[in-house]
Amino acid sequence: MEGELSPREEKLIRSHLEECWKCRARRQELENAIAGFVRVHQREFEPKLPPVAGPRALLKAQLDQLSASEPQGLSNSLGRPHRFAWTLAAAACAILAFGLILEYSNHFLEYSNRSLPRAVIVSIPNPSLTPGATLLVNRRQVCSQTNANNKAVPVALQRRVFAEYGIVGAEPRAYEVDYLVTPALGGADDIHNLWPHSYSATVWNAEVKDALENRLRDMVCAGSLDLATAQQEIAGDWIAAYRKYFQTDQPLAEHCKDCIREDR
Amino acid sequence: MSFRFPGSATLAILRAPAADRDAGDDRRDRLGENVVALFDQFRGPLLRYLSSLGLAFPDGEEIIQEVFLALYQHLCGGKSRENLRGWLFRVAHNLALRRRHRARRDSEGRAESGAELLAVDPGPSPEDRVLSNQTQQRLLAVVEALPEQDRRCLFLRAEGLRYREIAGILEMSLGAVSLSLTRSLARIARCAER
Repeated sequence: MEGELSPREEKLIRSHLEECWKCRARRQELENAIAGFVRVHQREFEPKLPPVAGPRALLKAQLDQLSASEPQGLSNSLGRPHRFAWTLAAAACAILAFGLILEYSNHFLEYSNRSLPRAVIVSIPNPSLTPGATLLVNRRQVCSQTNANNKAVPVALQRRVFAEYGIVGAEPRAYEVDYLVTPALGGADDIHNLWPHSYSATVWNAEVKDALENRLRDMVCAGSLDLATAQQEIAGDWIAAYRKYFQTDQPLAEHCKDCIREDR
Repeated sequence: MSFRFPGSATLAILRAPAADRDAGDDRRDRLGENVVALFDQFRGPLLRYLSSLGLAFPDGEEIIQEVFLALYQHLCGGKSRENLRGWLFRVAHNLALRRRHRARRDSEGRAESGAELLAVDPGPSPEDRVLSNQTQQRLLAVVEALPEQDRRCLFLRAEGLRYREIAGILEMSLGAVSLSLTRSLARIARCAER
């Protein structure tokens, strides 16, 4: 009777049900059982489904790369020679995907006066300059890397980052050119994933972000957080992510020995 | 030493010059859009079903990514578009079983490791569950106590799959699917009567 019978069979059964109270009552019991199960099923799973934005963005990025690597004429084999009109995958969609989930304004960024080099306190990257970029890796690849240290950003690339942010003549030790999405979570060493994170005495400094990165990586590798969501969280608003995953308004003392506490 | 992922491509901002685009590019773009639309439609039901198989949500998300990339390849290859819903669930089901099997094998070899997929409870613990009444608590217990194949049939049916689709996914006969669902619903009905 669930649309599984032929029209003739269904007609016969309906006719029987009109005459047979016992079968009709049995049918009602089954209907009630179905309704009860559906209620429990919805209550158990619906509220717990993780947000779709991160996985959706990751899928689009992977589809873009697959599409870009397909030879002319569609192929179902990844083994065919790639068609290269350009050397890197079309990832404007990937950048857009990260841009779509970056919905915050930069309250802390000040751009330096070019004639007076001074430390610029930068806690959050400029989303138009640093939307984030990741490698297409999966959780197993991320978690199989045992060395927890990010590789050093080449000096030339660091200079490009400073130039992008209008920081001229800065003291090298005033900043860490930081990965927005850490390589520990699949972040790429690409200029769109790099920004000058100030070491100045602010609340939300590089040390605090490192703690967040470690926490998110632990959660991803423990299976309690999916990789795409972790990447989205850290790229979107890493300070909000820190507050969420450490359940605190201000950095924990163990994460920031020299932090100046904000007045909130 | 630092993080290196050999064989991976960097996501970058370069896009193919407009002159290089052709009808094939447009068709692939449309296919990609169709795949994303199907993802929006079926990601939730697939994730729920994979969770019912004992997979944590992060593992389910990874499998779902594989499923939809495979779907893209399937469509690019001009293969059948008939009953894509059944196709998605069948591929997801098989990938999930493979992953569970691998996780069990790995955990047997790494007895001291804490990173076992199956150790992560995809749902709330019994202590964390807050249901509105005891009937629903009993009902949930009955569902969890069902034989695994019966539970799989039930959850697939709850996601709207037809008997024939369920039979194809679980490699059962149509009659066996019907019997399984009847048996499960009868147990649920008896629970509700108490």
